[in-house]
Amino acid sequence: MKFAYYPGCVAKESGKELDLATRWVSARVGIELVEFPNFSCCGSGFLDEANGLLNVALNARNLAIAEKAGLDLLTVCSTCQGMLTFANRRLENAAVRAKVDGALQPLGISYSGKTRVTHLLQVLTDQVGADRIRGMVRRPLTGLKVGAFYGCHLLRPADEMHSESAEEPHSFEDLISALGATPVLYRGRVMCCGFPILFVKEPTANRIAGHQIHDAKAHGADAMATPCPLCHISLDSFQNKASTAVGEKLDMPIFHLPQLVGLALGATPEDLGLPRHLVSTDAALQKLGRVAVPA
Amino acid sequence: MFAAEKLITVPFDVYRYDPARGGEPRYQHYELQLAPHTPVLTGLLRIRDELDPTLTLRYSCRSAICGSCAMLVNSKSRLVCRTPVGPEVAEHGRIVVDPMRNQPVVRDLVVDQTPFWDRYEQMEPHLIPDPQRPMPEGRTTLMTPAQVDRFKDTPRCIACAACYSACPAVEADPEFPGPMALAKLYRFVVDPRDGGHQARLRKIQTSGLWLCLRCHLCTEACPKEVRPSERIRDLKELAVRAQGGTEPGSRHAIGFLKNIEEGGTLNEMKLVRQTSGLIGTAKAAGQGIRLVRKKPEMLKRPKTIEGIDEVRKLYRALEKDEEVPL
Repeated sequence: MKFAYYPGCVAKESGKELDLATRWVSARVGIELVEFPNFSCCGSGFLDEANGLLNVALNARNLAIAEKAGLDLLTVCSTCQGMLTFANRRLENAAVRAKVDGALQPLGISYSGKTRVTHLLQVLTDQVGADRIRGMVRRPLTGLKVGAFYGCHLLRPADEMHSESAEEPHSFEDLISALGATPVLYRGRVMCCGFPILFVKEPTANRIAGHQIHDAKAHGADAMATPCPLCHISLDSFQNKASTAVGEKLDMPIFHLPQLVGLALGATPEDLGLPRHLVSTDAALQKLGRVAVPA
Repeated sequence: MFAAEKLITVPFDVYRYDPARGGEPRYQHYELQLAPHTPVLTGLLRIRDELDPTLTLRYSCRSAICGSCAMLVNSKSRLVCRTPVGPEVAEHGRIVVDPMRNQPVVRDLVVDQTPFWDRYEQMEPHLIPDPQRPMPEGRTTLMTPAQVDRFKDTPRCIACAACYSACPAVEADPEFPGPMALAKLYRFVVDPRDGGHQARLRKIQTSGLWLCLRCHLCTEACPKEVRPSERIRDLKELAVRAQGGTEPGSRHAIGFLKNIEEGGTLNEMKLVRQTSGLIGTAKAAGQGIRLVRKKPEMLKRPKTIEGIDEVRKLYRALEKDEEVPL
């Protein structure tokens, strides 16, 4: 399996641990990542609000880079997944297509619309397959109760994302089971993390993140895992503020999707960049007998 | 001849609550024999008519037109008049019916929709005359098909409040007007006969527009495919184009635009400064220091992508264009 690897901005900066874990896991499960130094940012939904057409054109350029190399695109971020898929969808509109083609042509770029955009979660569950992953597990995550947190743009709008059921998805839970952990079902798993308004009205964003973490915790989760680094910022990097917003010490370790997979496949916490988290993952690791319980 | 469907046992767990009588909300269990295609609403009416006359629910047309019977069916927003029992029983083994969220329960499955309608009224959902272009006296003002297309699917809205119930921004912040109100606002902002476009955009920019999370839960919940989240996106672009970065939300969008033009990729620290200004950034310093201690590369300027010239040429080619309906 060979993909054009689209890490997205956050995995190259503050969420570097996601990139580390993606590379570690990909190498073990047979995913070859081809890098392109000329990918631009997906726009993250914000650029779309300033100039929607330009955002489609920039992503058409990204998709054209992969198409020229004959590769499908692999994302590790629900938002990148959403924005790049939107671009493909919007290019089906003739007026949009004409404008974008008109801007790309003078640059010698053409995009026929063939590049498929796939998230790592989908590659792991659909192409590698949860059963094969189960067979690769070296250190099962037995006893760990994990709440999956999907991230909006991996699922919705369902008719554009061509994904599984947006209301009752199960791929992430299937993967968590394959790793030996116990998936926790809770309403918040398909809800928003609050990130999009973190810089607009932070207390509201924190409250939304706090609701979802509280919900996972109330259903018995020891940890949460997300396929989106923006959700990770909201749930991990700003968890102290989410705790204040909901008036509860949340103390919830938040894993990036490939970190959870890596742990089960035998990676060390350092391989996966776990020490970079703002909320310590030690409580979850202790539950797995992976770090010494402090005296 | 049409063959009758075989009846199945349908277990219902229905939310019951009567504040006037006090006590806690509870679920009451009922079982009916129904054909799989029977709407959940028909089941609820049979419960009321045959088993328990105290069950209270709101409905009217039974044809997905009036928008009265939105409820949660196994936690999903549904018009119960057009949700068949069969697939729900097959998937979940039973049918749990709850009242909509984000609105206080009056009794059982009936909610108080006052906050929903109040927010709708705040949008001034009627044509505001344009003094520059008075409407012709005594005759209809016609629109071109292209102008009508601009409404997208917003006229299909039946005001069932399923979107309002599903919205996490409504849940978290009373300032947010909700998806339906904003989709209606969009419909007037793009109406060529309306004289209030700019005033409407200015007002909404400071009263909740930028609190939309673009989570698309409203678009998923809408039984009429109005796609409110996409129309809210349109409103944001119209506001940015007409009025620039007047609010943190629009400044963030414009900050992104500048950021990517500069290096092709996001510069996290710079974006915070662009959105929050110096004072806002200073206020956020404590959290910033916590983050940078664990993630020191945040302080480094990200590497400019190869092919940044192509990116900038796309900007030059498309930045002056008028907004294109997406």
